[in-house]
Amino acid sequence: MSSFGPSSESTGDGGKLVGTVAGPGDGPNEFFIVTPDEQAVKTGEFITYSVIVEGEPQDVIARVTNREQARGLPETFMADPNVAPETVAGTLGVPTEDIDLYRLEATVIGFYDTQMQTFANPRQLPQPGTRLRTAPDKMLEAVLPNIGVDEADARTTGGEVDLSSVEVPKRDGLAHMGWLLNREAGAVDVHVPIDEFAATHLAILASTGSGKSYTAGVLMEEMMKPDVRASLLVFDPHGEYDTLAEMRGEDIFEGESGYQPEVEYFDPDNLQIRISELSIGDVMSILDNPSDRMQERLDGGWRAMQQRESRTWGVDELLVEMYQQYGEDDSSVGALEWRLRRSIQRNDLFTTDVNVPLEELVAPGRCTVLQMDTLSRRDQQMIATVLLRRLYQARLAAVRGREDDPNYDGEIIDFPLFSLFEEGHRFAPATGEAPSLSIMRTITSEGRKFGFGLGIISQRPSKIDQDVLSQCGTQVTMKIQNPTDQDAIKNSVEAAGEDVLRELPGLTPGQAVVSGDSMNTPVLIQVRKRHTQHGADSIPATQEWRTAHQRHQEQPTRSESADMGGGESSGEQNLLGED
Amino acid sequence: MSNTSPSDQSDSQTTRITDCLAIGSIVSSNSHMDYTVEIFNETDRERAPGPAECEFGQPVFIHKTIQDTEHVIVGVIYDTHLVDPDQGRSGPRLAQGDQKQFTPGYVEERTKLAGVALLGTAEVAADGSIENPSHQMPRWTLDVEDIVERCPDGVTRAFHTGTDGGILIAYMERLLDLAGSLGAEVMLVLLDRLRESFPTDEHQRVLDVIEKDVRWQSSVDRGVMR
Repeated sequence: MSSFGPSSESTGDGGKLVGTVAGPGDGPNEFFIVTPDEQAVKTGEFITYSVIVEGEPQDVIARVTNREQARGLPETFMADPNVAPETVAGTLGVPTEDIDLYRLEATVIGFYDTQMQTFANPRQLPQPGTRLRTAPDKMLEAVLPNIGVDEADARTTGGEVDLSSVEVPKRDGLAHMGWLLNREAGAVDVHVPIDEFAATHLAILASTGSGKSYTAGVLMEEMMKPDVRASLLVFDPHGEYDTLAEMRGEDIFEGESGYQPEVEYFDPDNLQIRISELSIGDVMSILDNPSDRMQERLDGGWRAMQQRESRTWGVDELLVEMYQQYGEDDSSVGALEWRLRRSIQRNDLFTTDVNVPLEELVAPGRCTVLQMDTLSRRDQQMIATVLLRRLYQARLAAVRGREDDPNYDGEIIDFPLFSLFEEGHRFAPATGEAPSLSIMRTITSEGRKFGFGLGIISQRPSKIDQDVLSQCGTQVTMKIQNPTDQDAIKNSVEAAGEDVLRELPGLTPGQAVVSGDSMNTPVLIQVRKRHTQHGADSIPATQEWRTAHQRHQEQPTRSESADMGGGESSGEQNLLGED
Repeated sequence: MSNTSPSDQSDSQTTRITDCLAIGSIVSSNSHMDYTVEIFNETDRERAPGPAECEFGQPVFIHKTIQDTEHVIVGVIYDTHLVDPDQGRSGPRLAQGDQKQFTPGYVEERTKLAGVALLGTAEVAADGSIENPSHQMPRWTLDVEDIVERCPDGVTRAFHTGTDGGILIAYMERLLDLAGSLGAEVMLVLLDRLRESFPTDEHQRVLDVIEKDVRWQSSVDRGVMR
């Protein structure tokens, strides 16, 4: 660093001076930098230089994508691990101080255009010899996420446009997810615009144990803050979000006029589905291999039932209707009767009358967690299917202004919704059938227009339906090593560039790449600490075994000691057939 | 400088530069770093150097006083040539191999020349030992007929000891470059001598690394390794 003189430590105008442009790189947006410093610039660091664009000086941001040593001691000096290369160099009179030179490769991201409110590529590489600085923390906070900073926001009291002067944390509707990984903890906070991912959907993809539920928890906390007050619906197949209720009573969630987030838990007892809410397709999907004739009979009966005023009919009424239509001795209806009774009537999930009103389920400032850990996968899918369809129709009706329509007797939800799916591949699987897949495809492709956002959380991106995954506009990707899953991300996530994919195997728990519509450029972040406890920890097996063993020892024993072969054998000769 | 009492082999561990065996005198130079030395024979000196005393890789020094300070300029024998003015001559000869007593001197005109590459310089202390060794290129030019003396192992050791007690071989790249095709060999001989002078494990390891580097580099250059 000494060659840069005292100005190298300056943080006044820009960040720290880190290096000099050596020349253009391989690609049209790449260039090489030479830096003598070994610590200052890491891969992924944002650096900046100034160019004149249309007469105005602009701070262009570039990302360091690779670093290699340009000059240093030869490897042959390192032949013996017991001998420091500096010792060999000292013996041979080779200087060892300040000789390391690094060559960095950087890719131009662009300068922040306050008109377009995103990065614009200047199509102009820096001149060789241009000095580069690390991009200032405050500036990155304002320009990395897609939060729409415009010229007025960036204008200082002195009238200049300075992106570093934008007070990002004071803006509303942003989710503070964490901070930039390459900088010190908390130096560059990353605030993701909630409006963006609530409209264009979200995917949190990570292998088990890398913190995807934790990250989802962070986002949910942010969405329940007083400046957001979202209406959240969480499909929780594992019961991982039972700690969210702690948000009540925490100061950080309290807002004006006594706002406190509500957290409602629904268990299977109050998640029953009214049979009349099922579509014919749903019924088909839960029956065991109905024949074509059976499907035709069921279709006719079901349509007739749906014409009725009453919404409280059940399997019995349906069968009566079908026997009336097709005759008492129709064999197909007889076969259907057995199937319907087995799959619907004897399943506690389905009922004739109870139907959770949507107003009870969702409300602004309320986080509704559907705890489905005791249900089978098929029942979980069925609940999701029916609820999503009802919610989607209620949103559709609200957006089309049907609350005043006298002919419309359905439900209305006059606020946007955001729904999170833990184990998203269960509800929108890539292979195999799921009744929920079709409505999820509809919402991910159309939901934007109707204020219905989905968040898919999964550890197996390759098992999620590609149509659903590719529609998730914002991606939070954490450690993923499985090559099939990496391919799935590459194929379906548009914003996932090569440099993002390359980072994935090396991330540690709590580190994530955030990319897509919510960001102006993908960034690597450290997810912040949750305000509430995390509920999805693994069970400590050895401890549980010890306590369980202790418990069993204290109880009177019911088991017999194992026969290890010392006693008389019984039956072996018979088995060998030697009688 | 006296050459009448040359040191014996047993004195090779001396750290003083006095009473060292003179092995030859400078006859010409090829460059600032590269001198040609005519090795003394029996007619030049009573005690001429034996073959082992002016062998390939033998460190040598030239004792010179420059601006009132005594210096030694240290070099190494990196090449040898034999010269025989009689070679190829087919006419009658004044002398035959068995008639030496009648000859005016043809036989004695056969000489052995040695190439000496300069390694560095050192100052001579009052007690005759050397101090402040420098492996920089010597700035001064040597003269024709300067006496080249055999460098005792003790002095060689002192010349290769850095200020921190470590081994110093900072001339290596220059020597390799100057000695050309014999560079690696002369360096290996020097390293061998240094191994005996620096027996501690720590020094041996450093020498190991350097030796491997030299061997590897020369093998690569010669195409037997990659």
